[in-house]
Amino acid sequence: MKTFAALIKREVLDGKNGYILVPLILTGITLALVVLSSLGVGNILHFDGMAENGITNLADALNQTVQQEPGEMAAGVTLLYWTTGLSWIALPFVIFFSLLGTLYEERRDRSILFWKAMPVADWQEVLAKLFTPLVLAPLMFLAVAIAAQLFTALFLSLIMIFQGGPVLELWPLGLMISSWFAFMAHYLLWALWALPVLAWLLFVSSFAGRMPFLWAILTPVVLVVVEGMFLKSSIVGNWLGTHLGGWQDHATTRLDHDIDGPRDILNIVIGDIQWDSLTYSIASAQFWLGIIIAAGFIFGAIEMRKRAI
Amino acid sequence: MTDTVVEAPVIKARNLAKSFGKFQALKGVSFEIPLGRIVGVIGANGAGKTTMLNAVLGLSSYDGQLSVLGLDPSKKRDALMKDVCFISDVATLPKWMKVSEVLDFVESVHPKFDRPKALDFLSRTKIPQDRKVRALSKGMVVQLHLAVVMSIDAKLLVLDEPTLGLDIMFRKQFYQSLLEEYFDESRTVIITTHQVEEIEHILTDVIFLKDGDIVVEAQMDTLTQQFIELQVAPGKEKEALALNPISTGSSFGKSTCVYKNQDHETLANLGETRRLGLADIFVATMTGEPQ
Repeated sequence: MKTFAALIKREVLDGKNGYILVPLILTGITLALVVLSSLGVGNILHFDGMAENGITNLADALNQTVQQEPGEMAAGVTLLYWTTGLSWIALPFVIFFSLLGTLYEERRDRSILFWKAMPVADWQEVLAKLFTPLVLAPLMFLAVAIAAQLFTALFLSLIMIFQGGPVLELWPLGLMISSWFAFMAHYLLWALWALPVLAWLLFVSSFAGRMPFLWAILTPVVLVVVEGMFLKSSIVGNWLGTHLGGWQDHATTRLDHDIDGPRDILNIVIGDIQWDSLTYSIASAQFWLGIIIAAGFIFGAIEMRKRAI
Repeated sequence: MTDTVVEAPVIKARNLAKSFGKFQALKGVSFEIPLGRIVGVIGANGAGKTTMLNAVLGLSSYDGQLSVLGLDPSKKRDALMKDVCFISDVATLPKWMKVSEVLDFVESVHPKFDRPKALDFLSRTKIPQDRKVRALSKGMVVQLHLAVVMSIDAKLLVLDEPTLGLDIMFRKQFYQSLLEEYFDESRTVIITTHQVEEIEHILTDVIFLKDGDIVVEAQMDTLTQQFIELQVAPGKEKEALALNPISTGSSFGKSTCVYKNQDHETLANLGETRRLGLADIFVATMTGEPQ
């Protein structure tokens, strides 16, 4: 366990640009925009053209919302905070390039000869190199996102104190925490579905003599094209689409329900979607087939790591 | 500490072979290396040195039988590395790591790493701990690597061209500290290098490799006694040649002959004799007729 922790720490240090700097910078930009739009542009502080409703600033707007829609406030605020989580769009890229580079770079810069002088088994190395981008990277991104949400809540609370708006309503902590867990749970399920594709990247990283990027991308592209040309079908393409997120279409049939307000959205996102997705996945043969294929690629990566110098 | 179990050889190889496609890099060599030796593995480029050492270190597959500290290296590299250390090339330390992070990492994955000892080694160098490996000079990188390796309480240390590209001052210092601060009878060190002269005084054993075969496996003392170079006195050339020298040449207008296993006194009658250095023995063995 101590060894595994050390391996993961090393992976984080190696990829700290992607794991730490990218979410920090992107979130920093988002928060800067939030602050600037509130203070500088003034659209949140002082609303033009809504004065006839008695709303002159954000505090008025929130006060009215609390009065008119008391049940929607908490959910609305929670969803609002998630809009600062823009850095999530970078996460797939971080995961992609981490998996593709990790076993390739150590061979390229010869540091593999140093790692191999340590009493660490190749399977431990490979699993650490899979675990870090897959599980630790989203946790880092989530940590930054949480910090951003708390910052936004604090910032808005300060404005409310000055403007005389509702402060307590800006802290729906229970819902916020639930949403954090829901996000991570849904991500993990997404990662399990995508695992055959992600493990393929790791496998490419373990054997490609050069240009792992081309290997990773061109192989599936060629498969899709060849299949389309000769078999006039698109099984590979559909399979990839399903595993990279398309499965959610089938898993989330309840989204067709009437949605009336943020509370309904949040209830679905936190509760129903998670449960539906899980039961759908566990019952899906394709899900399990994907896991088996992923295991094959991971095994292949370990075997290649054993032979690599 | 009582090491009573260490009678078994550190390395035991039977018909160790390795091919890359049609090329036979190692042609079924057999050898044993006991504990408490410093063994020089010497051969021309492509003679199979690195191939042999990679097999010993569990870095590559092989044919034949091989046991290192009782383990099969191709299957148990991770277990083996608790007692085996190696520097397989210059500049394999991860360039993106800081010096202190390298120490942190080794400390947390290697049960036999002694951090205070490594810090002691480093304190004698000019290596700053907060610097990245990338920013160190070539010599500093080797010093750091050596500090790490010498702070691991291993039974077998393999150094494959450890000083390649370093200046002579540093190389001298390197071998001196290896001998004085690391080596003892409970360890074995294997070294390959092209700078044979620099290591011959610290070696206890040598293995000569040629085209994937072991041509000489001997203790240093025995080997240097076997080879005698004779500066043939004028007029004695015929007699000298009759004694089957393994190689002949000339220097300063006199002809010289190199003999293997020839009686010293007989030769002394024919001119001046001297012992050969390891480099000369190597060259004589490689160019001379097969014994």
